[in-house]
Amino acid sequence: MAVIRLDNLRKEFGKLVAVRDLTMTFPTSSVTCLLGPSGCGKTTLMRMIAGLEEPTHGEIYFDDERVTDLTPSERNIGMVFQYPVIYRGMTVYRNIELPLLEDKALSPAERRQRVESVMDTLDLTRFASAGVDRLDNGTRQKVAVAREVARQPRIILFDEPVTNVDIASKLQLKRALKRLVKQHSQTIIYVTHDQTEAMTLADEIALMRDGAIVQRGAPRDLYNNPADRFGGWFLGNPGMNFIDYSLTPDADGMTLAGPLFQEPLRVDGVDGRREVVLGIRPERVRVLRQPAANSVEARVAQQALVVGGQHLLTLEIGGAVVKAKVSPEMRFSVGDSAHVVFPLEHIVLFEPQEGLRLDAALAPLAAPTN
Amino acid sequence: MDVAVEFRGVSKSYGRAVIVQDLNLSIYANTFTVIFGAPACGKSTVLRLLTGLDKPDHGEIWMRGQNVTRAAPGQRNIGYVPQSFALYPHYSVFDNIAYPLKLMGVSTRDATPVVQRAAEQLKISHLLGKKPDQLSGGEKQRVAIARGIVKNTNIFVLDDPLTGLDFKLREQLFDDLRQMRAALGAAFIYTTSDALETLMLAERVSVLDAGRIVEVGELETVYAQPQHVRTMKLLGFPEANLFSGTLDGGLCRTPLFDFRAALVNGSAPTEVSVAVRPQDIVINPPAGGTLKTFPADIVLVEDIGGEMVVYLEAAGLPLTAVVRHSDIGDPSEGRTTAAIDPKRLFLYGPNGSSIGQGAH
Repeated sequence: MAVIRLDNLRKEFGKLVAVRDLTMTFPTSSVTCLLGPSGCGKTTLMRMIAGLEEPTHGEIYFDDERVTDLTPSERNIGMVFQYPVIYRGMTVYRNIELPLLEDKALSPAERRQRVESVMDTLDLTRFASAGVDRLDNGTRQKVAVAREVARQPRIILFDEPVTNVDIASKLQLKRALKRLVKQHSQTIIYVTHDQTEAMTLADEIALMRDGAIVQRGAPRDLYNNPADRFGGWFLGNPGMNFIDYSLTPDADGMTLAGPLFQEPLRVDGVDGRREVVLGIRPERVRVLRQPAANSVEARVAQQALVVGGQHLLTLEIGGAVVKAKVSPEMRFSVGDSAHVVFPLEHIVLFEPQEGLRLDAALAPLAAPTN
Repeated sequence: MDVAVEFRGVSKSYGRAVIVQDLNLSIYANTFTVIFGAPACGKSTVLRLLTGLDKPDHGEIWMRGQNVTRAAPGQRNIGYVPQSFALYPHYSVFDNIAYPLKLMGVSTRDATPVVQRAAEQLKISHLLGKKPDQLSGGEKQRVAIARGIVKNTNIFVLDDPLTGLDFKLREQLFDDLRQMRAALGAAFIYTTSDALETLMLAERVSVLDAGRIVEVGELETVYAQPQHVRTMKLLGFPEANLFSGTLDGGLCRTPLFDFRAALVNGSAPTEVSVAVRPQDIVINPPAGGTLKTFPADIVLVEDIGGEMVVYLEAAGLPLTAVVRHSDIGDPSEGRTTAAIDPKRLFLYGPNGSSIGQGAH
C-alpha cells in the first residue's frame, strides 16, 4: 500500500489557478475526503494524482517513488467515477474477474477467492451470474467498486461515486465502503461536495476552497472547530450562523454588547480588533417559550422542517437574523415570540477580513466589587 | 383561499401507459405548493398539462377561474423555471432574463427595471453584463430562476429547479425562493422527488404516487399525520421505517413487539403496515415508562454534524433512527436497547390508507 505525497503541486488552466502549490500527504489505510464546493479544485487535484491531468509544476510521490511523469496505467490506481464504468453484456462475476485475468501471477483459485470475497463484502453474491445490463444504477456502481477493489491497487480514487444513485443504494454503498476500508489497507481518496457524505465516510476531511486546503482533520474536529468562517458555513446543515459585532473598549480591554445578549460581555483574545464575527451552530442556540437567565426576545420569521422532523426556525432578534433547530414539540409558528439563549461555550469568534478563527472567548463582565 | 389552478378529473396516457389518472387537485393562490413524489410518479406530466405543453385525454384544467383545458401555452400567462438552465450562450445575463419580456413585446426601457428587480431578488445584480459561460452552476440556476419570474403574473411553475446543484447552493436558494414567493404574492408550483427540499420549501404539499394524488394538505399537517403509507415512507429525512404487523382484535403483533392499536372506524384488515419515523426510535431509553423496548444491534452510526443517523437491526428488520447529539452519548456499534412510544406508530391498510395509530 502507498502513502501519497504531493510536493508544491500546482495546476493552471489559462489564467485560472485550479490547484495552488499544494504540499500534503495522504496516509495509507484511511479514507481522506476532498470536500469543497464546485470549482474548488478537488476534481483537478484527484485527476493529477490519477495521472489524467498534467501538473503545471510540482511532484507526486507514491511512497518514495516519483510518479509525476507516469501514465495512469503505470500508476496502478483504482478509480470509481460518478457514472459506473462497467462492461455491458457480461455477468457481474465476469465484470469483476476480467481485470484480474491480466495478472498472470494469480492462480485461478486465488482469482476466484478475490472475486468472491469482494462480492461478499459488497453484498453482490446473489447477483454473481446476473447480466449487468439488468441491474439498477446503484448495483452497477457497486460492481464498478468491486472491480477496482478486487484488483487490490495500492490507491483507489472515488469521484462522487454515489451522486447518481438512489437513496437506498447510496446507503448500501456507503456501508460497503466502510467495510472495505477496514478489510483492505488501501489509501482511499474520496471527492465530494456533500458535507454529510464526507462527515460519515471520512477518517479525515481535507476541506478545499479556491485551489487550497483550508483545513484538515477528523470530521467531528472540523465540525466543532472550524479554522475559518468558510468551514463553519460549509460543514453543517444548515451551516453556522454569523453575526457581525463592533467592540467597545473599556478600562480592562474590549467589551461586546448587542442583540444576542442581555448584558455586555468581556471579549478576550481579539488583539485590539474593533470588529469581530460571532459564530454559533443552529443546534446550539437554545430557544425557549419563557424568559430565562440571559435570554433575549426574538420573533419567529420563518419555519421549516429539517432532518429528523426538527423545526428550523429563522429568528429575528433586534436586527440580527439567526437560525435555530428546535424540537417540533415546542410548536413554534411564524409570528410567535420566543426567548433565546446563546450559550457562551458554543460561540466562536472570527475576524471579519479573512474570516479566520480567533483564539478568543466571551465571558460575563466581572461584577463590580463592593 | 383562492384557487389558482384546478385539475378536474384529468387523465393522460401516452400509448398504453396511463401516466396521470383521474387527477383532482386544487392549487391555492399566493402559496408555495410542492408536488412531491418518487421519480417517474407523473410529476412532469402534471406540469406539462398545467403549462399547456400537453393536453389531457379527459377532464378539465381551470386557471384563475377560467377553463383553460384547450388554451395554448402562450395564453396561460405562467412563469416557468425549467429543470436545466437552458440559457442562451450568446446573450448576456441581462438579455437572458429579459427574454420572456421581449417575446411579449415589452420594450427594453420598460423591461430594464423588471429585470433589475428580479436580479436583485436573486442576488445576481453584479452579473447582468456577463455571458452564461462566465458563471458557476449555481449562478446559472439563479439566472434561470430570475428569467422565470420576470413575467408579470401570479402563477409560477418550477420544474425541479435545484436538482444537480451542490448541496450548499441549494441550501442558500431555499431561503431565497421562499422569500421571493412571498414578495411576489404568487402561487409557486414546484416539483421535486427530494424530501428535504419539500420540507424546506412547501407551505402546502401534494403527494403524487403512480399518477394519482394520494394526499394533499398543509405541510405540517401532512407531515404530522400522514394519511397514506407512501407519504409516511417518503416525506421525511431520513425516510420512515416500515414493517408488517398482524391485527388480532385490538392488538397488533409485529416482529419487534405487540402493541394496542387505536383504529379508526370501519373494517380492520388482518395484515397491516406499521410505520415509525426515525426520530421516534429511542436508543438506550430510560428504565420504566410506557415505551415498548426491544433489543437491537447498531450496525452503523453516521455523524452528520448536528445529528447522528443510527442504523439498527432488530428481529431481522433494518431500522433507521436519528438522534440529536445532545440527547445521547456516542452510540457505538454493537448490542443495545431501543424503544418506541406506541403512540408514534402509524398503521396502514393494504390499500395504503391510514387505519389508526398505536396506543398505550
